Amino acid sequence: MKRFAFIGVLLFGAVLLYSSFSFPPLGDPHAPANRHVSDDYIRDGMKETAVPNLVTAVLADYRGYDTMFEATVILAAGIACFFLLRRYRRKPAQHRLYRHIDTGVILIIEQGGKEPVDSKEFERIDYHWVPFDLVVNKAAGLMVPFLQLFALYVIFHGHHSPGGGFQGGVIFGATVILLAISRDLRSTTRLFPERTSAFLSSAGLFIYAGTGFACLLLGSNLLDYSALARLLAVDPVMARSHGILLVEIGVGMAVSAIMIWIYYNLASAGRYDEGL
Amino acid sequence: MTDQLPALIIISPLLAALLANIAGWIQKRLCFPAAVAGLLASFLCAAFLMRRVIAGGPVVYRLAGWNPPWGISYYIDNLSGAVLILVSLVALINMLANREVALTMFENRLGAFYSLYLLFVTGLMGIVITGDAFNLYVLLEIASLTGYALIGMGGGRARISSLHYVFMGTIGASLYLFGTGYLYMVTGSLNMADLAALLPQVEKVSLIEISFILCLVGLFIKMAFFPLHAWLPNAYSHAPGPSASLIAPLTTKVMIYVMIRVVLSVYRPEFVFKALPIRDLIIWIAVAAILAGSVMAFKQRRLKRMLSYIIVVEVAYMVGGFWLGNAAGMTGAMLHLLNDAMMTLCLFLAAGSIVSRVMSDEFSYLQGVFQKMPFTMVAFVAGALSVIGVPPTCGFFSKWYLISGGIAAGQYGFAAALIISSLINALLFFRVIEIGYFEPFDMHSHGAEPVFEEASAGMVVPLVATAGLILAMGFYANTLVAWFIEPIVPVVLAGGG
Repeated sequence: MKRFAFIGVLLFGAVLLYSSFSFPPLGDPHAPANRHVSDDYIRDGMKETAVPNLVTAVLADYRGYDTMFEATVILAAGIACFFLLRRYRRKPAQHRLYRHIDTGVILIIEQGGKEPVDSKEFERIDYHWVPFDLVVNKAAGLMVPFLQLFALYVIFHGHHSPGGGFQGGVIFGATVILLAISRDLRSTTRLFPERTSAFLSSAGLFIYAGTGFACLLLGSNLLDYSALARLLAVDPVMARSHGILLVEIGVGMAVSAIMIWIYYNLASAGRYDEGL
Repeated sequence: MTDQLPALIIISPLLAALLANIAGWIQKRLCFPAAVAGLLASFLCAAFLMRRVIAGGPVVYRLAGWNPPWGISYYIDNLSGAVLILVSLVALINMLANREVALTMFENRLGAFYSLYLLFVTGLMGIVITGDAFNLYVLLEIASLTGYALIGMGGGRARISSLHYVFMGTIGASLYLFGTGYLYMVTGSLNMADLAALLPQVEKVSLIEISFILCLVGLFIKMAFFPLHAWLPNAYSHAPGPSASLIAPLTTKVMIYVMIRVVLSVYRPEFVFKALPIRDLIIWIAVAAILAGSVMAFKQRRLKRMLSYIIVVEVAYMVGGFWLGNAAGMTGAMLHLLNDAMMTLCLFLAAGSIVSRVMSDEFSYLQGVFQKMPFTMVAFVAGALSVIGVPPTCGFFSKWYLISGGIAAGQYGFAAALIISSLINALLFFRVIEIGYFEPFDMHSHGAEPVFEEASAGMVVPLVATAGLILAMGFYANTLVAWFIEPIVPVVLAGGG
């Protein structure tokens, strides 16, 4: 079987290699891929959408329907991780570790024993607990606000520079994951609960689909942001630009929440008890 | 508002999926009504849209108001309209039938289940409705990803089967994407109608040929066309009941629809059947697939596994029939696409209903099942007769078209394979019916005398309705062909009629 697979891969590679000889030259400005639709995007993009970054204009307006479903793909991945991994029943025979903060003594409490929950003197620690590291903890904590600000910048500046909802959303999600890695999962889920991540992931996409649907209710086609002109009190071209911003915010929200949600489920094997 | 029907078909299940996910965290009881509302709205819109298409010809819907090829557009003709109705109807029936099963099976993750369910349906509907080759790939990703998750939730070996499916499905989708990439390279367009207009002018025909082969092989993997079918039987037989009876009738059928769409409205039949010498090859592979699949189905000792192999056989019917390249063959393939979805739904629902009471789908457990679950088994027999091809069930008519297409094209091997496979199907199902009806119940002492223990009404009513639809589709086979298929079958066909 492996031999067949190997021959298949070789054959496929040979076909691709053979076909590459008839490719248009790399970067040829007269190649069909660079002529047929691109010329019009470049010529009219700014006029029609008022977005200087052509990539954003194509991605979120001309082909905004694709992008709505790209975001849906990520949502589907998040829900799939939750659906497959989440475990609600805890394993019964399990003991927990509590560390006395002042002395560093670690207590192993068997199942059924009295746990010092909400105690100021004890903190619960994971099995793979690493001794408290001031540098890692503080450095990560210090970076987070700046990273989040940068994430917002990437989302909102997508009209003018590379960036947008997907990239900004991932950066934002990564900040929460950074917190979870530098501390532990429990303290992070207190800060940003599972429920919130599930809500925001749907809500973000709801902003996207809802914006598109609002255009439909206002009498235009689905996702035709120019219909929002009346609501936003701007001209139809500017309304497209604002519509793009709206959906980028939705994408950013959804993507960041989904990244966090997926991380929670993967890192704790769906138990939300221990984990990085 | 009627201009917006195409968009509503897609957006209503999508919004319902988001609502179901949120409802799962607040009030679980709201998940099911939200999901049903989304699917029902989608179904009604598809039905109304179909009326418009039949009266006024194909409908083009420009998303975001941009003209193709700059923006994305929907393209709905008679066949895609029919498949849209079919997908939403099958999903709706299955959802109603599995309400209680889903409630007990996914208690804590009900919202996630309905959300994935609706996203899966949205993906399939989006694949069918779109007029854009790349957009098709995006929606294909959604349908695949949610499908993997829905299958992986079954017990036992479901996870590993799902993982196998992930690998194969990803390869298939990537090949399709490769093919689309080649098309974009030589034309600079992604819109199907635009591609069809541009491709004849392209000088580098070899690139088009390679792109077509890549697309086709990718779709063959996705539709489990023998010998690329290895993922299907495990994935479908280990999947949890509500997912199996959703995915089994729809995925392979929609992939066959995509193949038809890609051949007819992107590469054009003139190119596909004339320029490429693969027609005979594919038909002979289909013959091998029909025979091998039937034999493999015969070796199975579990109902769902047997049905899974029958799907592999049915896929080969449709692929072979379509590649006959004549009007009868293509009509047969398209009609069989509609019929087969309905009969697979019926059989898998019946299997799910049996599992809900007998707790197993192994043949040895099925003794006395006719006395125990008479309504379920009547529906099962209707589905079985349709797969065998007994009139007046719908399976007879499509098979008739396929066989006459095979004879008209001079492909006697294909026609013979169809007849042999019908006989094997008859054997397969009569074996099950014999065990369920005639074998004494206490043979393996699985319990006492069979008592009447039918599945819940919520399950049986949709199941019997599906059986009724199979008969109705048989009685109205001519109408189906006249409405949905005749306007689509290309008039001028190459490669021997």
